Amino acid sequence: MDVAHIRNFCIVAHIDHGKSTLADRLLELTHAVADRDMRAQYLDRMDLERERGITIKAQAVRLTHDGYELNLIDTPGHVDFTYEVSRSLEACEGAILLVDAAQGLEAQTLANFHLARDAGLTIVPALNKIDLPAAEPDQRAKELADLLDRDPDDILRISAKTGEGVEELLKAVIEQVPPPAGDPTASLRALVFDSMFDAYRGVITYVRVKDGELPSRARIRLMATGAESEAEEAGVMAPEPLPVDVLGPGEVGYLVTGLKDVHLAKVGDTITMAGKHAAEEALPGYREPKPMVWSGLFPNEGGDYSELREALDRLKLSDSALSFEPEVSQALGFGFRAGFLGLLHMDIVKERLEREFDLELIATQPNVEFHVIEGDETIVVHNPAEMPLPGTYDRVEEPIVFATVITPKEYLGAVLDLCQSRRGELVDTTFLTPERAEVHYMLPLAEIVFDFFDQLKSSTRGYASLDYEPWGYQESDVVRVDVLLHGEPVDAFSTIVHRSKAYAYGKKMTERLRELIPRQMFDVAIQAAIGSKIIARETVKAKRKDVLAKCYGGDITRKRKLLEEQKKGKARLRKVGRVDVPQEAFIAALRADQGAKKK
Amino acid sequence: MDAAGIYVHVPFCLTRCGYCDFNAYAGLDHLASRYVAALLREAELAAPSWEDEEVVSVFLGGGTPTTLEVADLKALLARVRSVFAVTPDAEATIEANPDTVDEQKLAGLLEAGYGRLSMGAQSFDRTVLAALERVHRPESVVAAFRAARAAGYDNVNLDLIYGAAGESVESWERTLEEAIALSPEHVSAYALTIEPATPLGRQVSRGDTPAPDPDLQAEMFETACGLLGDAGYGHYEISNWAKPGYECRHNLGYWERRPYVGLGAGAHGYRDGRRWWNVRPPEEYLSTVERGELPVGGSEELEPADAYLEEVFLRLRILQGIPASWVEDGRAEPYLRNGLLLDDDGNLIPTERGMLLLNELVLGLTG
Repeated sequence: MDVAHIRNFCIVAHIDHGKSTLADRLLELTHAVADRDMRAQYLDRMDLERERGITIKAQAVRLTHDGYELNLIDTPGHVDFTYEVSRSLEACEGAILLVDAAQGLEAQTLANFHLARDAGLTIVPALNKIDLPAAEPDQRAKELADLLDRDPDDILRISAKTGEGVEELLKAVIEQVPPPAGDPTASLRALVFDSMFDAYRGVITYVRVKDGELPSRARIRLMATGAESEAEEAGVMAPEPLPVDVLGPGEVGYLVTGLKDVHLAKVGDTITMAGKHAAEEALPGYREPKPMVWSGLFPNEGGDYSELREALDRLKLSDSALSFEPEVSQALGFGFRAGFLGLLHMDIVKERLEREFDLELIATQPNVEFHVIEGDETIVVHNPAEMPLPGTYDRVEEPIVFATVITPKEYLGAVLDLCQSRRGELVDTTFLTPERAEVHYMLPLAEIVFDFFDQLKSSTRGYASLDYEPWGYQESDVVRVDVLLHGEPVDAFSTIVHRSKAYAYGKKMTERLRELIPRQMFDVAIQAAIGSKIIARETVKAKRKDVLAKCYGGDITRKRKLLEEQKKGKARLRKVGRVDVPQEAFIAALRADQGAKKK
Repeated sequence: MDAAGIYVHVPFCLTRCGYCDFNAYAGLDHLASRYVAALLREAELAAPSWEDEEVVSVFLGGGTPTTLEVADLKALLARVRSVFAVTPDAEATIEANPDTVDEQKLAGLLEAGYGRLSMGAQSFDRTVLAALERVHRPESVVAAFRAARAAGYDNVNLDLIYGAAGESVESWERTLEEAIALSPEHVSAYALTIEPATPLGRQVSRGDTPAPDPDLQAEMFETACGLLGDAGYGHYEISNWAKPGYECRHNLGYWERRPYVGLGAGAHGYRDGRRWWNVRPPEEYLSTVERGELPVGGSEELEPADAYLEEVFLRLRILQGIPASWVEDGRAEPYLRNGLLLDDDGNLIPTERGMLLLNELVLGLTG
């Protein structure tokens, strides 16, 4: 295909703003899918994606229309995957900025719009859902026009649901988005903007050829990881896989790499030819996936550690951002400490483990990565247990994010209050329209990973949206809080929090555990402590009576059976020092927070 | 040859009490004469396999045995004595409700051979009796007790229950003091236990009545230990106290795992590691016995582990204790350290605190 007739574009949109429906209409309009095969949300393959209404795996689909080759590149739609979004954008020359005509711009859309603009993409703005009674196209058009510094009349108005305006939108993409550039004679450089693991074919990468040509079968080299292999097949998704002889410069497609480990072909890497035709320099912008949030994952009571290990190993094959290492907890047994790109990533992994591998899991409270600095040495801590004792280090630094919140103005006060209570520093507030404000805050990531999003939603009736990007590390007065039962720390409840939140955490956990820990033969002190300093204390009073009042001829069998039942219960107890605790109590204490997070 | 016991169950009551989950029924009085006949018949059917056992106790419980006529009760004991090898000095107990006896009836029972009377007093506090749905008044207990003494009874037990809704430690103290003032030979004091399948159990699960507070019941237990101990009663089982020599021989038989035979609807028997029980519904019991069959409804063979568990918890209940050698090394230490057990020269005996936490103790010691 002549490069002048290629258009590579993506759709930047908020969850629920109609991206998948628009993709369906484009598939129909370009006759990419036979009518009888068409189904809603065609491109969202995985069950998980369909149910959550989001897309976690980018895909590229080739459409043909009026003699043009149109590559629609699907971008991940969540804050955890900013880097993956940026790589998808690198594969495009243009982006449809799709905004719900009723809801207006949301924070993540705005953030991705900024990414797209910074990447030099041509923006084709469109308002969707104009068929909705609640749509306010004039107002939203003005909002978008202000943002883009354009005339409101330039904003297309469509309904992906009814198909209205979709053909015009496609025309606009062809007219406005420039064709890709690239040197066909240069050494091959193809950007990996997504990769996945297929049980039969191994690692499949989605690539954008920048320079040179990628033949269907070749010995390739991944420039960041240095991995080499015999690629087995190049092709395009049309939208079903269609092998091709060669992917030329500017083209987008897939490559069956012949690799068996997704970690050897990560997003952002550059594919070149192995041997003397290798490119000298990789494409810019590669970054190692970096976990931002950590949590302990343990099999539920009676669950199998080796099954969890196997499931994680298998999940890791298709999720290059997931990392984990074994962890032993006296409260929860054998498990893993896993690192995630963010909270959503964590939820997705947990859900996949539970659903695809039929495991029941307990997750400990998520925490971020802290840097403990002593002299010239920096200790990286992503598990509270690794946090050194107070007084043994100079300072601690915690990750800070630059957060964007878009909110209707009536909730601006609530948003500011929330950010303020989460140790936020206001950067600025601007108004997108007289009714909608865009607020920027510097916030500790640790404050966001803990129910911030839910609080934001509940204090703004769901109207506010959030996006954030890593900003760096900053010194902070964080401390490790331990929870002790009868003097013994319970590792599952240790956490690292800002000193100003330590008391509240300690009080909450000791009170909660007081309700959950069964009475013992002796008074059990439940304490929260920073180092050796006790900051909260509760007592579970000694059990005084546990005896059957009557036991005569007819009762003995029944009473024995009651005792046997009690004995079975006791066998399930875990010992923390001298205290017997049912694992359910630990789980209930951990789940009390997580329960609130599910919608 | 172990000293055996005979239990006879009478399932009739004037009214049902809210807390009671025994095999007892109100309004079945019309079955009384058939039932007595069936008991006489069952005794004959059961006796042959017990001819080698020496019977040292007979216990008529219920239900309310005193709803039966004295003549029937007399015939019953006479039949038991004639078909089983009952020793001449055997203990023969009959349970009585204060409202179902007067001096004349009590004299008849004594004359019939029931030398020990066990009276369901439950409480001397009107509000506690109401909470238990007992129909008698505190005064009836005193009157019935005096009638028993007048009739010549010199071995009387009072049953008491503590921890019902609304009862305070002070009220329980008064009940104990009134009981002690009557100077019975024996006192049984039970912590009220909520059984799910009773009217009271349903009230509690609905939240209409509070469940007994275990801490308060523990305090009441300690009160009972103190007051009864001071009054000269020996504490010989978790819920039982007696003046020296007046321990209930029949009940000790259960706890010492001696053999017993149960006659009547739902009654249990035990011998040589086997336990069995009669069918529970009175009608079914009657028709089975009337066909000339033993009315056994079920049985179990105790596995060695079951027998060990029973032996341990029963011996601990009667404060006889268990040899330290029965317990794996290290298991007794936390209980000794926490004051739940005493080591009496190699014998492990529960303390007062240990009695209150007996389940814990049994589980901890047996592992």
